[in-house]
Amino acid sequence: MDLNLDAPHSMGTTIIGVTYDGGVVLGADSRTSTGMYVANRASDKITQLTDNVYLCRSGSAADTQIISDYVRYFLDQHTIQLGQPATVKVAANLIRLLSYQNKNMLQAGMIVGGWDKYVGGQIYSVPLGGTILQQPFSIGGSGSSYLYGFMDQSWKEGMSKDEAEKLVVKAVSLAIARDGASGGVVRTVTINSEGVERKFYPGDSLPLWHEELASVNSLLDLLPEPMST
Amino acid sequence: MGSRWSPYDNNGGTCVAIAGSDYCVIAADTRMSTGYSILTRDYSKICKLADKAVMASSGFQADVRALQKNLAAKHLAYQHQHNKQMSCPAMAHLLSNTLYYKRFFPYYSFNVLGGLDNEGKGCVFTYDAVGSYERVGYSTQGSGSSLIMPVLDNQLKSPSPLLLPAKDAVTPLSESDAVDLVKDVFASATERDIYTGDAVEIVVINAKGIRRESIDLRKD
Amino acid sequence: MSKATVELPPKGGFNFDLCRRNDMLTKNGVHAPSFLKTGTTIVGLVFQDGVVLGADTRATEGPIVADKNCEKIHYMAPNIYCCGAGTAADTENVTDMISSQLLLHRYATGRESRVVTALTLLKTHLFGYQGHVSAALVLGGVDITGPHLHTIYPHGSTDTLPFATMGSGSLAAMAIFESKYREGLTFNLVYCAFVEIPQRDEGVKLVTEAICSGIFNDLGSGSNVDVCVITKGKVEYLRNHQKPNPRTYISSKGFSFLKGQTEVLSTKVTLLEKPQQEEGVDKMEE
Repeated sequence: MDLNLDAPHSMGTTIIGVTYDGGVVLGADSRTSTGMYVANRASDKITQLTDNVYLCRSGSAADTQIISDYVRYFLDQHTIQLGQPATVKVAANLIRLLSYQNKNMLQAGMIVGGWDKYVGGQIYSVPLGGTILQQPFSIGGSGSSYLYGFMDQSWKEGMSKDEAEKLVVKAVSLAIARDGASGGVVRTVTINSEGVERKFYPGDSLPLWHEELASVNSLLDLLPEPMST
Repeated sequence: MGSRWSPYDNNGGTCVAIAGSDYCVIAADTRMSTGYSILTRDYSKICKLADKAVMASSGFQADVRALQKNLAAKHLAYQHQHNKQMSCPAMAHLLSNTLYYKRFFPYYSFNVLGGLDNEGKGCVFTYDAVGSYERVGYSTQGSGSSLIMPVLDNQLKSPSPLLLPAKDAVTPLSESDAVDLVKDVFASATERDIYTGDAVEIVVINAKGIRRESIDLRKD
Repeated sequence: MSKATVELPPKGGFNFDLCRRNDMLTKNGVHAPSFLKTGTTIVGLVFQDGVVLGADTRATEGPIVADKNCEKIHYMAPNIYCCGAGTAADTENVTDMISSQLLLHRYATGRESRVVTALTLLKTHLFGYQGHVSAALVLGGVDITGPHLHTIYPHGSTDTLPFATMGSGSLAAMAIFESKYREGLTFNLVYCAFVEIPQRDEGVKLVTEAICSGIFNDLGSGSNVDVCVITKGKVEYLRNHQKPNPRTYISSKGFSFLKGQTEVLSTKVTLLEKPQQEEGVDKMEE
């Protein structure tokens, strides 16, 4: 078996961001792998940039971490100079700037989501080369290819917060079921005028999709008596 | 960017053989590994080919196994034709021919053959993968050979093959001293070679027959 | 354009002549020297009021054990230690460099170093070298904000975990953590929301077991177990906490290595000429 442990740390990922009536919901799985080895099964791919803007990361872990570190630093300075919170657009544009100017060095696909008092909830997707797109909803990472049809059908204008959160969890769990590079738990971040709410859905609480097997804690529980110690 | 598939693997391991005036000691560790993983801690690299010929092999286990079966088949045919066991020097030559037969797709196996010759003297034959061989007084093959060989050279200095008249290749050690030396060089090689370890299996051949013993080595 | 101008070397910029030379040398079978790699098992674990770090003590160079008892748990600050896997020179130097930056930072601020500071310095350094500095680290420590454990990969990515493993033996060690970090020592998957965290002695025991799993099942790891327990205001560096691999056999007779075991075929002695004092050159003053 070739685990390829020397491969750079990357997040074969499912990330998603959707707008709803009053804010946004961001979602992500929690698997980080080096080659075939799951290096972290409980990672947090939804990173805070400011009080009201969060970032979903996919691609190289090192690259996306350094980008978010820089952007957080720039936004903190910007907030102090401005004397008020940075807008989602500014945050997304900084992400785009770094992605575009260093495109030959980076392997990073990101979704920026947040809320500000001027426009409300917004989702910006910043894929590989440094394109920026404002969208009502966006999906990214290796797991997203399983979700286009589903999202086109299920996303509706003017959903409630509850509907949006349910949609995000359902979408990520569908991608986890089909995409080998996504897995673990589902994390969501909901941002609206009230503030930010993080939620966490353990892997064994997720719905089982077509022909999927329920997860077990340990193989030892499945084996006949003499094997388990 | 994956490297091309190779028909060979290296399963590591070390073999040693020492010939005395009336005995022969053949030893090998029992670890079989690939890359940084241990496949098993208890695999015998020593194979009895005839009553007075024992082979220890390291390298690629699949090739070693194929070689052992090939030799066993040829030895069976020999017994049917001649109604006797093959002598160790005869087996040595057969092994050389068998290896050279696959000159351009070699058996990836590094062998030492030990036993008693027709006069009852200990003999050791050492090989490369394509059948070049030589009768010597002692030899070592495999992953730990570069660590063990200089020690054997120092302790069992063999006469130069260039000397005239030729001198006997057998070592001056007693049987128990030779076994003691083998245990010690294996314990030492295990300290520094990652592919050697777990246990050493020692086979002693003398006029009384074949005896086996084994001692534990480091398991890390 | 005349031929002479075409062959003129470009002024300024980079010169890649040596890269071409090196490629040529590699093609002709001259290879760059190999590095000392610590094919390693290193682990870390958060317990009730601190962290436990663990490491094996084998350093390898290809299939040969270069050092049977090396130290892989490096000092970063009085309250922070760091296990290193990868190229020995890289782990050694990277931890030393960041350690000295932390010391200067402590002099400047007059405060105890924080684990996140060490983490950020390490990751920015490694990211800058784009994975060419091959140091895979497990960073652990206790600061004003509590116990922390991080893993840092050669490319500069970091993880924050309640238990972590690194190096060639990381799978063997993680197998132990994943199977034994259970009832009694269960944690909620959202880090920072521990249901029940192991006590110190349980932590040391589990770390030792994980390292032993690496020592015995991974050929790149071996020899002894080093453990480092960091709690608030206290560090216990348990060098060679366990020695599970003693030598198995020592000849009762011992060895004597006599001179003259190699036959001398011919002897020629060349005497060194007496060096001549150069005139008119002042002797250097003492």
